[in-house]
Amino acid sequence: MKYDLDPHCEMLMQQYRDLRPTLEKLAQEAYSLLRQELSEQGIYVTAIEYRVKKENSLAGKLELKGAKYKTIQDITDLVGLRVITFFSDEVDKVAAIVKRIFDIDWQDSVDKRKLHELDSFGYNSLHYICRLKEPQLPNDETPNPTNDPTRQIRFELQMRTALQHVWSTITHDTGYKGDVKIPPEYLRQFSRLAGMMELIDDEFSRLRIVLNDYRRQIQSLVKNGHLDEVPLSAGSFRSFLDLQPFRRLNMRIAAVNQAEIYPASLMSFLPVLESFGFETLGDVQHFIDDNSDDAYQLAISQLAITDLDIVSSSTALLNLCLVHVLKSGGGREGLKAFYDIINGETPANGMLADIIMEQASILSFMENKS
Amino acid sequence: MIQTTIKEEDGNMVAVLQGSLDTAAVPETEKAVLPLYECEGKDIIIDCTDLTYISSGGLRILLSILQDAERKGHDVYIKGVSNDVRAVFAMTGFVHIFKFK
Repeated sequence: MKYDLDPHCEMLMQQYRDLRPTLEKLAQEAYSLLRQELSEQGIYVTAIEYRVKKENSLAGKLELKGAKYKTIQDITDLVGLRVITFFSDEVDKVAAIVKRIFDIDWQDSVDKRKLHELDSFGYNSLHYICRLKEPQLPNDETPNPTNDPTRQIRFELQMRTALQHVWSTITHDTGYKGDVKIPPEYLRQFSRLAGMMELIDDEFSRLRIVLNDYRRQIQSLVKNGHLDEVPLSAGSFRSFLDLQPFRRLNMRIAAVNQAEIYPASLMSFLPVLESFGFETLGDVQHFIDDNSDDAYQLAISQLAITDLDIVSSSTALLNLCLVHVLKSGGGREGLKAFYDIINGETPANGMLADIIMEQASILSFMENKS
Repeated sequence: MIQTTIKEEDGNMVAVLQGSLDTAAVPETEKAVLPLYECEGKDIIIDCTDLTYISSGGLRILLSILQDAERKGHDVYIKGVSNDVRAVFAMTGFVHIFKFK
């Protein structure tokens, strides 16, 4: 393809073309190393992107400022990587990792998050100019210089949040960085939006910290037995289940046939407990304490006459719920409604309710409830 | 006595269980359902329309099929269960672990 470049820029373009395979190799290697390191450190980001600058994009750059560059290696974004994080504090975590795995050219690196004037808009990202490190000999901290050309070329690594990325994309798309000078009133509106997005980013980070603290508080309350102070929710119920509150009743039931207890998730029972009006983990614990003996009787009235020697770890909670429904006067319809929540609505739930009604009818807790 | 038939139907693997899956029938059923562990990219339907009884051993076979399918990202559906067999699932607490059609 032909571009309108002066001889110096034509030379730079030819250097680029010769360097292209090395640039591709560098981009892939830098990307793989970064991805692996972020994964090993447990940092989950929304995206890691990489690209080698396209020829037409380079031509545009050279047309504008080609005289600035002596050789093609003076251009630092022939290879570009971008890491997009969820939260603003993660940008600094990613930066710490990048500093460890790549050599940073501090002279040309810039934190564009700090650059913008107070009265101008600007909502950008952290840009590092990097090189791949030279390989090290085993047991030796000294880098071992090689002639590998991928080690000679610098590349740009941008780190930004998802909102910063949206800002950058939208403003690029609306052309505010384009040729036309933007009137001051529009600049002011962009500035306000940038400020709002920065506030949103900071607020997300703050909320994340607050929620993590809250979770730790709940876990501590559960661990220390202050269950009446803990509202019933998915998170608190999960913490409660870590205490294995149904284990004793499961083992008691399983002992009837010396049954194996097959582990199963109990989270699907949370909507049932909420439908019972339980508001705290204390309510759930009282429900267990008040109904365990009757739940045991109901369970063994079904199992004892069989030789079934495997039961689910949900057996205890299942029978506790059945007993609660019956003691509350829910009757057949209450049992069917319970099975509809647990199993999904199906006509067979009516049959299950009938079986339980029949078996429970002879049990002591059902006196005066028929 | 049990008869087990494995077939492909509408992109799913179907295991038809007919008869009584009691303890004595477990070894032959375990062999017969081996193709279900070898399929990839297909959901599994266990047709229990003509299944008259299921023992603990039978439940274990179904649980094993379910575990393997979940690991591969497939679903297992149990179809056509009689009241007696459904009652076994209910009293052992497995009625909400399987998906029933």
